[in-house]
Amino acid sequence: MPEVQYWGRIEVSPTAIASIANEAVLTCYGVVGTAAKGLAAGIVNVLSRDSKRGIEVRIEDGRIIIDVYVIIEYGTRIAAVALSVMNVVKFSVERALGIPVTEVNVHVEGLRVSDTD
Amino acid sequence: MTDETVSKAVRISPHLSTDGQGFKQLMEAALAWLQRHQAVINALNVYPVPDGDTGTNMVLTMQSAWTEIKDSPERSVGRIVHQMAHGALMGARGNSGVILSQIWRGFARSLDGKEVYRAQDLAAACREATTTAYKGVVKPVEGTILTVARAIADAATRAVEETEDLVRILEHMVFAAHEAVMLTPSLLPVLAEAGVVDAGGQGLFVILEGMLRYMRGEQVAEDGQLVQSVDLITTGLEPGEIGYGYDVQFLILGQELDMDAIRQKIVEMGECPLIVGTPDTVKVHVHVSDPGVPLSYGASLGSLRDVVVEDMQAQYKDFIVNSELSRSTSSQISQEIGVIAVVLGDGLARVFQSLGVGAIVHGGQTMNPSTQDLLDAIEKLPAKQAILLPNNGNVIPTAEQARALSTKPVAVVPTRSIPQGIAALLAVNYQADFETNVAAMAEAMEEIETGEVTTATRSATINGLEIADGQIIGLHDGELKVTGTTVEQVVCALLKEMNQTQREIITLYYGDTVSESDANALADLLQQEWPDQEVEVVAGGQPHYLYVLSVE
Repeated sequence: MPEVQYWGRIEVSPTAIASIANEAVLTCYGVVGTAAKGLAAGIVNVLSRDSKRGIEVRIEDGRIIIDVYVIIEYGTRIAAVALSVMNVVKFSVERALGIPVTEVNVHVEGLRVSDTD
Repeated sequence: MTDETVSKAVRISPHLSTDGQGFKQLMEAALAWLQRHQAVINALNVYPVPDGDTGTNMVLTMQSAWTEIKDSPERSVGRIVHQMAHGALMGARGNSGVILSQIWRGFARSLDGKEVYRAQDLAAACREATTTAYKGVVKPVEGTILTVARAIADAATRAVEETEDLVRILEHMVFAAHEAVMLTPSLLPVLAEAGVVDAGGQGLFVILEGMLRYMRGEQVAEDGQLVQSVDLITTGLEPGEIGYGYDVQFLILGQELDMDAIRQKIVEMGECPLIVGTPDTVKVHVHVSDPGVPLSYGASLGSLRDVVVEDMQAQYKDFIVNSELSRSTSSQISQEIGVIAVVLGDGLARVFQSLGVGAIVHGGQTMNPSTQDLLDAIEKLPAKQAILLPNNGNVIPTAEQARALSTKPVAVVPTRSIPQGIAALLAVNYQADFETNVAAMAEAMEEIETGEVTTATRSATINGLEIADGQIIGLHDGELKVTGTTVEQVVCALLKEMNQTQREIITLYYGDTVSESDANALADLLQQEWPDQEVEVVAGGQPHYLYVLSVE
């Protein structure tokens, strides 16, 4: 998305934004992976560290809208984790770019069960 | 307050196992202690998002956990912990709350089916708690609550090799948690930039500290209700009220050092004592108001190594100040508030010093300090803002004058007596801002009633009472109320005047002309007269007044 400056322009591509968001999501407690949209739970890339498949960035009318598709650890409070994903993504992207993020939508694509109790 | 009256929890027998009901009480203590520190933890919160809600989130999560078990009569620790973990999960709020719920989840899984937990079970549960917590994130970030949890588990694992006493083990865990929290800024740069420790880590430390305080019989809840009584005895002042003071650590190198004797001695000296080692090397850690005391004691036993003395108050204030600064520069900041008290008598001066007063100006009845004395004290005080405690009605105008002349911001809390001054000083909260403190101190001062017993220096008629030269007289909040021929008679009449049956603690500060045995004899008499109240005796060493009494 272009930001007009006096001596030129800085453009940040949605892919770059996705990278920032991806990093943020993966340090977010409770998220054990991102998943490409709509994939069946069996073939999601649960531990994808550098893939940005689970992040979709759209620019609509100059507003940044980010959709994240995540796998969450079974046994955590999903609502709380999702809320914290929203906060962390919004904060990280805004801190890096200085441009407000309008929406962060969290899609829980699956749960990873590492322990049952 | 003085050496005679401060005595700490005396432990009778080791605590070897905890059942469901025992754990419940630990949780209650942890929650109460966490609530008391909620605001401080909020102020530390800069990571992952600086929204200042970590303390609140952890409290809400712990509250949900506690609600789940608080009415449960369950005796099995496995089942109680399981219910508690469920509560934590359901109520998890925020990032730190979710991590906390995972910590409890792992803890609970490890204790599944146990009726009680012992040392080994506790260590295993802590390890499982850490493992579970780390599983919940792809890229664990060090320098957070996770790091602290791991340090706690490591400490527990090491501790069980030395002792089976759960209190000792918890001491090690709390100590390790504290160290890990202090290291968080070196692991997570964003914390170092903001000049804070990790909020979530601090929260976890506080939770454990609350449990430890409870097990040691120290005060946890603000109303003082939550005090362990089963195998602990507590008397005297709550050490926690004194404030932070100094964190003292050192190694004693010697031969055939008696660990138990050292431990007993150090425990008497201050808070958070930790004594570990071998007969020729002993590591000592303790929080005290005067670092000289444990150091001299250590030096008397052998040679000292690795001496570390840290001013915890300053550290704490630095954190708060920096984190506040990073957020808003306009808000009032409680940077280095210092309290100056006007006191007459060495004993009373010591009492004020032990309570963390910044400076003492000698003066009082018949010996008022000059405005210049007070101004000098204000200017010399290494604090940006000063609070004056005149502790005498006659000194208040002088204090007001000093306030008007000083270049620093100064407030006068108009204490009219020593007990009022002590009450005000106890209300100081170094994490709060200047105005809040002044208000809290003024309020605390009102809670106290003061009695003063002295000898009349001339014959007079005051308030309709005839006084003869040499008679004993008693004043209640500065007003002459009773006269008599013996001290005992006047003290008893005065206490009746002070309507003291409504109160809980009677403190006797005896003057420079009174012997300790006389004071103790009087205290015994008062105790017989008012068996429901607690009577404390303090060497005040004040001139003129035989006794200063406070009831609260």
